[in-house]
Order: sequence, then structure tokens, then C-alpha cells
Amino acid sequence: MRKAVKKITAALLAGVMVMGLAGCGGNQKSTAVGADGKADTSKHEVINMLVLGDKPSNGRCEAMLEKLNAVLKEKVNAELKLTYVEWADWQTQYNVQLLSGDKSLDIITTATDWLYAWENTQKGAFMPLSEDLLKVYAPKTYQQVSSMDDWKYCKYQDQIYFIPEDYYTQYTNHGLFYRGDWAKESGIENGDIKNFEQIGTYFQWIKDHKEGVIPWDIGGKINPGGLLGGYLNSKTDNIVIPSVNVGNYEFWMGVSKDDPFTVTSPYMESDTIYDAAELMKKWNDAGFWREDVLNYDGDCREAMYAGTSGSDEHHSQTYYSKIRPSMDRKQPGSDAKMYWWGTENNNVSKPLKTHGAAAISANSQHPERALMVYDLLRNDETCYRLINYGIEGVDYIITSDGKLDHPEGWDKSKDSLDSNYWCGRNDDLELQDVQWWDGTKGMIDMYNTFAYDNPYTGLVVDKNSVEAEMSAMASVLSEYIPQLAYGKYPDPKKAVDEMREKLKAAGYDKVKESIQQNMDTYKAALGK
Amino acid sequence: MKAKGKNQGVQALWHRKLIGKVIRDNHILILMCLPATLFFIIFFYCPLPGIYIAFTNYNFRDGIFGSPFVGFKNFEFLMKSGQLWALTRNTVLYNLAFILLGNVLQIILAIMVNEIRCSWFKKVSQTIMFLPYFISAVLIGVLAFNILNYDTGALNTLIRSAGANPVKIYSMAGIWPFIIILCNIWQQTGYGSIVYFASICGIDSQIIEAAEVDGATSWQRIRYIILPSLKPTFIILMLFALGGIMKGNFGLFYNLIGPANSQLFPNTDIIETFVFRTMMNQNNFATSSAVGLYQSVFGFILVMFSNWVVRKIDPDYALF
Amino acid sequence: MKKNGVKMTASTAVVRIISYICVMFFSLMCLMPFLLMISASFSDEGIITREGFGLLPKGFSLAAYGWVFRYPKVILGSYGVTITMTVFGTILGLFLIAMTGYALQRQDFPFRNALSFFIYFTTLFSAGMAPTYIWVSRYLNLKGSYMAVFLQLLMTPWLIILMKNFARSVPYEITESGKMDGADDFKIFITLILPMLKPALATVGLFLALGYWNEWYNSMLYLGSAVTYKPLQYYLYSIINTAAQLKSSMAGAAITITDLPSNTLKMATAVVATGPIIFLYPFVQRYFISGITIGAVKG
Repeated sequence: MRKAVKKITAALLAGVMVMGLAGCGGNQKSTAVGADGKADTSKHEVINMLVLGDKPSNGRCEAMLEKLNAVLKEKVNAELKLTYVEWADWQTQYNVQLLSGDKSLDIITTATDWLYAWENTQKGAFMPLSEDLLKVYAPKTYQQVSSMDDWKYCKYQDQIYFIPEDYYTQYTNHGLFYRGDWAKESGIENGDIKNFEQIGTYFQWIKDHKEGVIPWDIGGKINPGGLLGGYLNSKTDNIVIPSVNVGNYEFWMGVSKDDPFTVTSPYMESDTIYDAAELMKKWNDAGFWREDVLNYDGDCREAMYAGTSGSDEHHSQTYYSKIRPSMDRKQPGSDAKMYWWGTENNNVSKPLKTHGAAAISANSQHPERALMVYDLLRNDETCYRLINYGIEGVDYIITSDGKLDHPEGWDKSKDSLDSNYWCGRNDDLELQDVQWWDGTKGMIDMYNTFAYDNPYTGLVVDKNSVEAEMSAMASVLSEYIPQLAYGKYPDPKKAVDEMREKLKAAGYDKVKESIQQNMDTYKAALGK
Repeated sequence: MKAKGKNQGVQALWHRKLIGKVIRDNHILILMCLPATLFFIIFFYCPLPGIYIAFTNYNFRDGIFGSPFVGFKNFEFLMKSGQLWALTRNTVLYNLAFILLGNVLQIILAIMVNEIRCSWFKKVSQTIMFLPYFISAVLIGVLAFNILNYDTGALNTLIRSAGANPVKIYSMAGIWPFIIILCNIWQQTGYGSIVYFASICGIDSQIIEAAEVDGATSWQRIRYIILPSLKPTFIILMLFALGGIMKGNFGLFYNLIGPANSQLFPNTDIIETFVFRTMMNQNNFATSSAVGLYQSVFGFILVMFSNWVVRKIDPDYALF
Repeated sequence: MKKNGVKMTASTAVVRIISYICVMFFSLMCLMPFLLMISASFSDEGIITREGFGLLPKGFSLAAYGWVFRYPKVILGSYGVTITMTVFGTILGLFLIAMTGYALQRQDFPFRNALSFFIYFTTLFSAGMAPTYIWVSRYLNLKGSYMAVFLQLLMTPWLIILMKNFARSVPYEITESGKMDGADDFKIFITLILPMLKPALATVGLFLALGYWNEWYNSMLYLGSAVTYKPLQYYLYSIINTAAQLKSSMAGAAITITDLPSNTLKMATAVVATGPIIFLYPFVQRYFISGITIGAVKG
């Protein structure tokens, strides 16, 4: 027995010593700027970019990279390699890639609202980028971002940690897709749903007239929040504060676009939630979704394409790039439309400028070259087209009016490029895809007339001190929200009150105070 | 042969010589155990100190041992949730059901299969009973939904055609413990019975022949020869399983119940599913390690105690 | 004698009949869902979503299989990788486990309790995902290598203890006789003990093989997309999960989403994943021979 004890102790000590070295990982600071201001590219370097997406297996991406690397070699004596974090289990895989302290990673795709940009910054996964570094090695990008004064959104403790994809227009505000033809028949004027209650009319009509069609065949297992968030968005002026989700739910909001810096939560503090819950119960009783919706994980979008679901829920970009063109093909005449949350009250914010961003890994061995490569990818037409669209003539062609199309026989399911590059797209170089709905530009212009800038770009919330409370609140929400969202409580008002009590007990006030503090600091930093 | 010298040096020398002799005498056996020992040192004992992460506020820059120490803060959310007792209770009770019921049924199944004389029937049925093991938890969830759901499920279709009112199984919390246990048993029994079946095969055939000559009935044979021979295996498997009593079968629960159907949580939520739901968006390695540590300590105490009890009764049956 | 004969026949018959009935019933229960699965994999996705599964395919269609085998080279590669790992891992692991199990049950081995505990302890505590990952990928430098998966599955404490238990049923006389003949422990193990452990080897070998065949978690953590051919279960799992993730992803239109038939696809991948390994069990069954004879020893 003694021998065993000795063995175990020895192993433990060895382990401790070795693991202690783990502390030495990732401590590289950004290197000093080249003395003469001009970059030294005599050594060929391989730049490894971490992207989120599935590794393509049709050879198109490899072919493109060959061409791209020829160009990169000529311009900056470098080549690009892509490391994929695949979609299955992406949360674990993405964070685990950072955990490994892999020295070969250089550029890391990230986002502040859903890809843990701030968390990872605070944990030291990214390298701070000095303005000098950016000026010398990524001049065009630096110019572009500075011109819109967007660097301030990427700073933590006064250092820049990533490059925002801020020069790219996209709208990712959510809403409900529905069929204009059925909406018209249901008596809604012009088939345009203009307020939330009309959705009910639409659903009811489907229930009464369309056998075998479920008005909203959603899988509650995948979408546990249902339409609650949409209702709150449409009936209040609250704006969601990003990256402070409680569990899976957008819980914390700012009061309105005129008063964004006061933290609140409609789930706790407004009566709108009562109305929402009552409406959802009504809709559940009317049978607008499956009885066992909370365990159903079927694909609502496919159902809509197949004509067995009357609607689907997602965001605008999905609508104009996929839903509308697909519905026109698969259900001709369906005139698919989108009722976006905020139609009634114009409560639509432009997407965060950091909805896509590029960071440099803290362990990167050649950040300067990485920045140079990024600069080219973002601003050089040849490189941009290669990485976004592929090889001209093979993967894409340009139509006479400058739009993006594909050659004869190109099949999306077999031939797509899948380079998954979305941390540096650029409106100046972006080509509009003919397959997208031709009303895309119109829709974007329409949004531009009333959408407001997201007031929280650059807000960093420190969740460390309130993690236990947030988790406790997450557990309460995961208990109540799905049933409220799908109307499963016999007495919704009572359920909401119960939920509120439990949230208070879980530490609602403490968390609110903490976030408010961060908000006040942010407000002061903006000089407002 | 103990040396009685007052001289410590001589005693130490004796001790070393003794140890040396013991090692030399058994060196082959030691070498035979060496690969396994090395394996566990490398893959298990070496990273074990990293469990310290459960007590830190981990960040990439400082690594595990450099990150700030925060004591039991990572365990707080478990306490604060107010659910810890219910979760622990659920986890333990389900595991007890799985382990006890499962093993008993596995033994019965193995014995019954052993009684079958028709060779092809034996082979075919064994292969078939083995199949459920391959059906992953995801599929069990899908199959269960297909059978039990209200709108299109096979069960309710049957009920409707008989003229009765369909049942909303997914809203009835009380029935789910039975469904879950049934699914687990369905999945594991065939697979688990193999161990017992192999044990039965290992019984010395001379003893069995002797019993038959003496006029023992099948039932007596089972009771007095087969069951006792399975006892050691049963106890060892039981003890082994106790160590993991706090570790739930995440896959099964998550796929059957799902993260959204909170109507069923009080009866079916276990530690893993709870942690998964609440920590989903938080990207916090330290906390998940903390939960694992909590589960481990619990199981450790339980198994130590049980092994001590078994050792008092019959040292041969103890795990170590 | 006749009286005894009657008693034996009646009671034995009853036991036997009960056994047949129960085994048949349980087999049917095991088979039924499997049939549902297979028939669903050959069905049309739309009909299945509307009507649920059935014992016979509804709207016969090979679409789901088309998706699984979309890139035949890749799936063949996956099969290849998994089969190779399973075969080599099982053989090597089985040998090491048997060796260790035998040594640990030898009553005359003074370190057996300490080592047993040493091995068993690893099941009680675990460093957790993050420290283990850091250790294996950074310090052992196995990130992206098949070895990260292969090595970690080679032995488990449960199998070693199981083997130890099986080995205990081999009478000590055999070892003694070997020692009397002047053989060392290893030689005794190879020549005398192993042949008597056939059911044990079959059992442990089967479990080991299944461990390799079903493994996907380590592949997800350590391999990800770094290798050309993913182990089978992980590859199939990622086909299914990808679609679900993409639909709800926030990343927008930069990603191509293709129309995957989700339900039937899940079934088809399950059939493909399970298929070959089913045939391993009948092959292994022949080793479950009843009763070892120690007559040879006494002779």
C-alpha cells in the first residue's frame, strides 16, 4: 500500500510541476512596429484562420485557396490556411480550440453578441492590437474603421482586441415569415400583416381552411422562447442588451432608444408580459402549434417549403437571401412575406458592428503578417472575390449588371464554396447574388429609414461577480419561459407572478445593479 | 523474519532488502501490470491536479494554476439554485433503479438464455437482444416521440381507433420515471446480460454434471449452483456502479425530456441536464469542473463506505 | 429412478418453457423499435413528419441514404478509420487488460490490492474536460492526431476489474502446475491461462470493440475537422447536427444551408452506423462455450 501511495504522490507532484508551466502559455505581447514603417516580408509564413463552418468536401475551397495563396504569396509572401470549427457542437469545439493554446492559430473569427468575443477577450485569448500595428500592417482596414470611428467599440481596458466587420450591411432582426397569398385570403388587407394580433387571424384562417397544415409547425425543443420575445419587441420600446443572455433567453433590455442606458427587463417590470402570456395561451388552445411542441424538434423551415407549415421564424437576411427565393421556387405564388418584430413601433435596431469580427490569437507567432493577409482579404478585389465567391468562371460569374451569378450546372448542394468567411466583408466589394430576392435592396433601404444604431456596440459587461445569480435566474427562466411561450399554463398570470418571485429570490436585483454599473461606465466613456 | 535491532540503519537496510526481494520475486507480475499502470498515470493521474480549476476563475492567459483562486464560488450556483437537493435525489434514485433493477433483470435474462437448448434460437435471440445498445440516445428520443406524442403518435392513434380519448403523455410528469427506466432497461439489459452469461459459461461443467446425476431439478440447479457463482460478479459490478451514482446518463434524459418541457422537470431533471441548461451560454470551464468534483466526492464517499462494509462481510468480494 | 426422472422432467420443462417465452418476448421488444428505425430510413420524409413511423416504409425512398453516402469517398474513409482503430485497439487492449487482470487476481501477488485501488481510483475522480483536454492536446501534443482517440480507449478500469473477476474463476491449481513445470508467470499466462479464459476474452473483447466503434466524444474534442476522415460515429453525428445548428444560427447568410431530410436521415445514419458491428456479436458468440474442464489438470 505504501508503494502505491508513494507512486500516487510522485505522479501528482510531477503533474503539478508540469501543469504549472501551463501558466506560461499565451503571454505574448504584440511585437513592436517595424522600424522603417515598411513591413519585412522576406520570410514566407502560413497564416491560419479559424472559421466556423463545416470543412467542405467537394474540393472547391481547396482549389480556391490554391489560387488565393498564389496571389498572397506574390503580394505579402504568405499563404492562408483555414481551420474549421464545425457546426455540430460548435460551442464546445470553438472554446476548446482556444483552450488548447495552439500556437499555429492566427486569425480568429469572433462576434460580440454570440461568439463570446468579450468573454474570450477578458480571458486573454486575444492579442491586443496597438493602433500603430494596425496602421502599418492593415492600413486600408484601419482607414475604413477609423473613418466611422468604430475602433472604440472594440476596446477593452483601452486596448483594441478585434477588427469589426463594420462596413457590411446586413439586417439580422428577427420576425415571422408568412405566406402573402393565404394572408390575403384570410381577409388581411393586401395580405400584409401589420400588427401582432393579425398573426392570430392568419393562423386561425389556416386552421379553418387548410387541412393538414399547422399554422406554425415549430419545434419547441429548438426554440423554447417562442414568440414571447417578438411580442415584447413589438409592443414595448425595449432594446435587447447583447451578450448578457440569461441561459438561452434575451432577458436584459434598455428602456428605449431614447433612454438606452437604464437597465430593465420587461419580464419583470412591465405588464406587457401578462398580455403576451395570455395571448400565447389563447393560441395554444386554438391549436396553432403541435400539442407536444415542447418535445418536437422538427424542421419548421422545411415544413414551410413543403406547404405543411404556414410560417417560420428567423431574421431578415435569411428572408431575403433564402426564404423568399426558395418559397418562390417551391411554393409558387405563395408571396412569402415577413412581419418583422417592430413593424408596429419601428423598434428595429441596426445590427451590431461587431456581429462579425476578426481577432488575432494571443499565441500567434506572426501577427503582423496575419494583419496584412486580413487587410488584403477585406480590401483587395482579387482576394475578396476569391475568398467570398471562388474562382471566376468556375464557381461564379458576373452578370452584365454587376451581380453575382453561377455558371450553368452549378448546384448549390454540391458545388458551394463554403469558405465561411464573415469577419471582414466589405460593402464596396460585395456583389449582390441574383438568387437573392430582388427586393433585397428595397428592404434594406426601407429599414435604413427608421432603424436606429445599436446603442450597445462596445458595451462590455463583467459577468464574473454575478455568475451564480445569473445561473440561478437561468434555471428559473428555463422552468417558466417555455411553458409561457407555448401557452401551457392553465393560469398564465399566476405563472408569471410565480416566476417573478423566484427571479427576485435568485438575485434579480443584484444582477440588475451590476449591469447598470457597467452601463453607467460605458455611458460615461461614450461621453454622453 | 523481523530484525529486532535498535539500530535504525540496520532495520532500514533490512527493509530495503526485503522490499528488493519482494520486487525481484514478483518482477514478472509487476511487469505484467506495468502497461496499465503507465497508462493510468499518463492519461489520468497527470492531468488530475488540473481539478484545481474548479476553485479558480479560469482565464487562458494565466492557465489553470495562475488563474485567481476563488474558493467555492464556482459551486455557488448549485447551492443558490435551491434545486440541489431535488437534483441529487433524482440522480441517485434513477441510478439506483438502473443499477439494481438492471442487474437483477440481466441476471434473470442470462439464466433464461442459458436454459435454452435450441442452438439457433439462442444465437438469434441473443443477437437481437443485443441490438438496443446500438440505438443512441438521440434515436430513443425520436422513437419515443413518435410513439408517445399526442397528435401523430402510434399510441394515441391506437387509442383513438379504439374510441377512447387520447392521452397527453408529454404533459404527465408522473409517468415519466417509468418511461425513462423502461428505456434504460430496454437499452442496457441485453448488453449487460452478456457479462453474466459469460460467467455462467465459466462454471465448471463437472459440478453441473454431478448435480444432474444427483437428481437436481433445473430450478435447484439454478438456485444452488448458478446464482451463487454469479454473486461475486454481481457484487463487484454493484460496487463499481456505486462510484458513479451521482453521474447521470445525460444523453438519455436530455433526448427524452429535452431542454424545454419544464412540465416534466421536477420528476426527471438530473444534475447534468440542469447544469447543461443553465450553463449553456456561459462558456465556463471552471464551473463544469466544479460540478464534476461535487459528483465525484459524493460517489467516492459512498463507494469507500460500501467497500468497507463488504470487506467486513467477505474480503473476497471487495473491490479492493 | 423413475420417480426422479419424472420430477426432473416436469420442473425442468416448466423452467425451460418460461425461459423460451420470456426470451422471445424480450427479443420482440428489442426488435420492434429497430424495425421502425429501418423502415423509417427507407421512407419519405414528408409522410413521416405527418403520420409518424410505421413498421413498413411509407413512400419508399432512398433519399436519406443518398445524403449519408453523398460523399462516398469520405464515408468509406470513415469506415476504414473506425475499423482499423477498432481492430488494432481491441487486440492490443484485450491483451493488456487480460495480462493485468490475471496478475491482479493472483493471491500471492503482494501489490495486488494497491494496484487495484490505483486503477479503480481513476473512476472516482476525473480532472474534468478542460484540464484533460489541455494535457492531452498541449502537453502530449496529440491534438488533431488519431492517437488522441486510439490511446485513450485502450483500457478502462471497468474492463480490467471485469477481467480480474473472470480470471479468478480459473483454479489456482493450473498456475501451480505451471510453476511446478518451471514456467514463469508470463509463460503460465500465455500458455495455460489464456485458453481457459475464452468466454472472458470474448466478453471483454466485445465491449472493447464496441467502445471503439461507438466513440465520438473524443473525436469531437481532439480531432474536429483536423483530419480528413473522421471516425464513423462522429461523422454521422455531425451530418445530423450541422443541419439543426445552421437553421438556428446567428451567422446569417454567409453559410449555405441545404435541405436535409432530418428524421429519415437520423434513422439512416443509425442503420449505417450499426450495420457492420452487429455481425461481430454472432462471431464472438462461439466463444461462449459452456463449462471449462479441469480434468486436464487432475490428469
